[in-house]
Amino acid sequence: MSEQTKTKKKITWKNPLALWGASGGNYEVPTITHKDPSEIWEKTKSFIVPITKIGRFHYEYKSSNHGSKLWNRTRWWPTRRTILWTKGVYNRKSLKAEKIRKDKRPIFWFLGLVFLALFPFIVPEDYKNTLLVAGGIFGIYASINLCWTLVIGTANIFSLATYAVVGAAAFGTSWLSINLGLPWWTLPLIGMGVGFICGIIIAIPALRLDGFYYGLLTLGLNELCRVYVVTSKTFGSASGGLYGASTFINDEWPPMVQSITSYYSSIILLILTLFLFRFVDGKRLGRILRMSPEKKEAFAEASGINYKKARVMVFLISSTALGFIGGFYTAYYRGVAFNIFSFDTVLLGLAMITIGGIGRSEGAVIGTMLVVVLDKVLISLGPIRYIMIGVLMILTILFLRNGIFGIRKQFREWRDKKKGERRSSRLERGGEMLPEQATEMDDKDEVYRKRYDKMQREFLKTLVSEEVVEEHKKKPLGQHSEALERLLLYFRRSSQVDKYVIKCEKPFKKYKIMALSGKRGGSPRLVEDKTYTSTEDAYHGVFLRRLQDLMEA
Amino acid sequence: MDIPFVIINGITIACIYGLIAVAVSITWSALGLLNLSYGFIFSFAGYGAWLAERYVWHDPVFVLFMGIFSGVVGGILVCLLVFIPVHDKPNFNIRGMIGTLAVSLIGSQCLLQYFGPKNKLLPEVFGYWKIKIFGVVLTADKVGVIVCSILMIIIVVRWMKSSRRGLEIRAMMMNPHAASIVGIGVRRTGLYVMAVTGAMTGLSSVLLSQTYYLAPFSGLTPMIKGVSIALMGGLGSVKGAIIAAIILGFNEALTSRFLGGQYVLITQFSLIILVLLIRPRGIAGILDKAREA
Repeated sequence: MSEQTKTKKKITWKNPLALWGASGGNYEVPTITHKDPSEIWEKTKSFIVPITKIGRFHYEYKSSNHGSKLWNRTRWWPTRRTILWTKGVYNRKSLKAEKIRKDKRPIFWFLGLVFLALFPFIVPEDYKNTLLVAGGIFGIYASINLCWTLVIGTANIFSLATYAVVGAAAFGTSWLSINLGLPWWTLPLIGMGVGFICGIIIAIPALRLDGFYYGLLTLGLNELCRVYVVTSKTFGSASGGLYGASTFINDEWPPMVQSITSYYSSIILLILTLFLFRFVDGKRLGRILRMSPEKKEAFAEASGINYKKARVMVFLISSTALGFIGGFYTAYYRGVAFNIFSFDTVLLGLAMITIGGIGRSEGAVIGTMLVVVLDKVLISLGPIRYIMIGVLMILTILFLRNGIFGIRKQFREWRDKKKGERRSSRLERGGEMLPEQATEMDDKDEVYRKRYDKMQREFLKTLVSEEVVEEHKKKPLGQHSEALERLLLYFRRSSQVDKYVIKCEKPFKKYKIMALSGKRGGSPRLVEDKTYTSTEDAYHGVFLRRLQDLMEA
Repeated sequence: MDIPFVIINGITIACIYGLIAVAVSITWSALGLLNLSYGFIFSFAGYGAWLAERYVWHDPVFVLFMGIFSGVVGGILVCLLVFIPVHDKPNFNIRGMIGTLAVSLIGSQCLLQYFGPKNKLLPEVFGYWKIKIFGVVLTADKVGVIVCSILMIIIVVRWMKSSRRGLEIRAMMMNPHAASIVGIGVRRTGLYVMAVTGAMTGLSSVLLSQTYYLAPFSGLTPMIKGVSIALMGGLGSVKGAIIAAIILGFNEALTSRFLGGQYVLITQFSLIILVLLIRPRGIAGILDKAREA
């Protein structure tokens, strides 16, 4: 005890008020121990929350730019379209002019198509035949799925009759080619006619039905076609399909030439379908359809859109294209088998567009590629490959919102969510003000004042002790220890709102504590009934109330 | 002209497909899941019954119950694999449907891998007797099919009307959001619904296997027929499904009697398209207000 008091008495502090000649103001006075104010200041200054790097794509190459360069662009003749969508920006850090490609998809499409074009020359000789056959199948199926995407993605109509249309066109053209001896080049054209008729048939229910009602109905149509073909003698129920149609692949050519011809023909079909997709999805019809998805028809109609006409159009266009593909299929395989109508085909097709991502051309193509590789290249695995496709499908459903090509968007949403979480955890330290309040406050100095104020109050709370109260009771005015002086300086500086004042009811006899309203013309209010007999008592009463407010806030 | 024969045939067909249709309807209205994996559950239950008959006990009633039990297991499997992980994710309707298709693909291929493509035959559950009522000869399997499936539907409907769990399911049918707010667990109810509908599919599997063989893909046609009946009745309505099952059952019996078996699906789908063109939400078509797709 005595040891402590000894050390305490040794501690002194420099009185800042001594220079002004306050009464009894010594230059150095003894003080009680208290916390160092620089500690909390250092603590507040240093961030404890880990800071992650902000900004994105530090690694991305950006070509340099000059203002005038932006105007000399290569354009697709004869349109005004530029080759790539380019935008000039200024680097935020270095302020250098840079050129960025707003849409890099054409680059990847170009590379992908170059890969498909060079594919026969880069595959190993041992697998060449298998891979070329698979490539041919890929081209045809990707074309079918692109047409399907027009209906299921762009028009947002859940139709499952796509393969039924292809099959109907293929069976029709096979039958005509076998019985009437039509040459191969007429088959896709006749197929277009068949497809057009099928398009009318499937478009009529689409005007009345929606959602799964339409999807299941088309599934039923598919099954209907299958049963009809399987039981009908004209369509070769005995041989499992119709074979012997005319083809563009000459039997007398060497086998490799045959494979390469068929491969390239199906890739050309794919490119044609991609053009069709682009000119339907990316143009007026696609815009109209995407504006009037299911359950938003009323809005579309109110905007002056004839969505029924647009839907019939997209059915007719895609079915005609599917009919063309059906005719091509016949000419490609010299006929057609029943399993084009089977439920498994629909299922695999659905797997293709689901895995890739419904509604996007690249999703349809890449999904088709994945499933065809699993289905046709790894054929030695047996039924396990279907299980693999199913597992891939399940995983896509469970974890991805819209297939492989939806990952980018999903990842960005997830990243932004995480970023927001981290940002809010950083701002939580920032004091009284919540981030939302801070953004709404016009005077940003206030944000910082509150933050500083919080820090200061936290520090001042550590100074409050019995000794300080005792010291103030003894001598409310005059020179004090550092702790008390800091507290009093803070209290005196507080705002006019609810600031405590002493009301003298009878000089030297009766004093009461009041609080200012803080508004001009607003009268002060009495805060307590207690009367003090001297000014010193009243001073101490105010001090205690302020201490209480500080500790409670 | 044996009209009674046609009527009995129609009712038999209606009973089997009606079971699946009611199952599809209940699942759709309670969970918002269009379950297209009933084909797989169908085959799964059939193989379960077959295994039970082969390795455990030959008793026909035991086989019947094992079929129902395997159907329950299959339903719970689908629920755990697809419904529970996906039900609260965006775009649930389409994702759930594709998920059930994927389960169906995987499951059927697994069955094919394990049991092989050879057809299996289930025992005659109801024996070989015949009965004559009002001059109509009824074979044992027809009587059994009609009695069992009507009993099953009555039990399920009574259970849904009178039990606590049934109340939860009906609450989910009316308004899934409000039901979850008042403390009805979506996942738990999903399990009940899938178990019950799985049981119905399992029963229909054993019943249909009285006339047909059992194969890994034999569930496909019943599933498509069940779904089309549910569609025609109005997705989500048990009454509508039953009416549609009766109409389509008679259509099937009449068509195969007067036109020939291969025209069954053609007349069936023409009928469905006709009904749907007149009433786009199916015959019942009102309950569907409860759950918008």
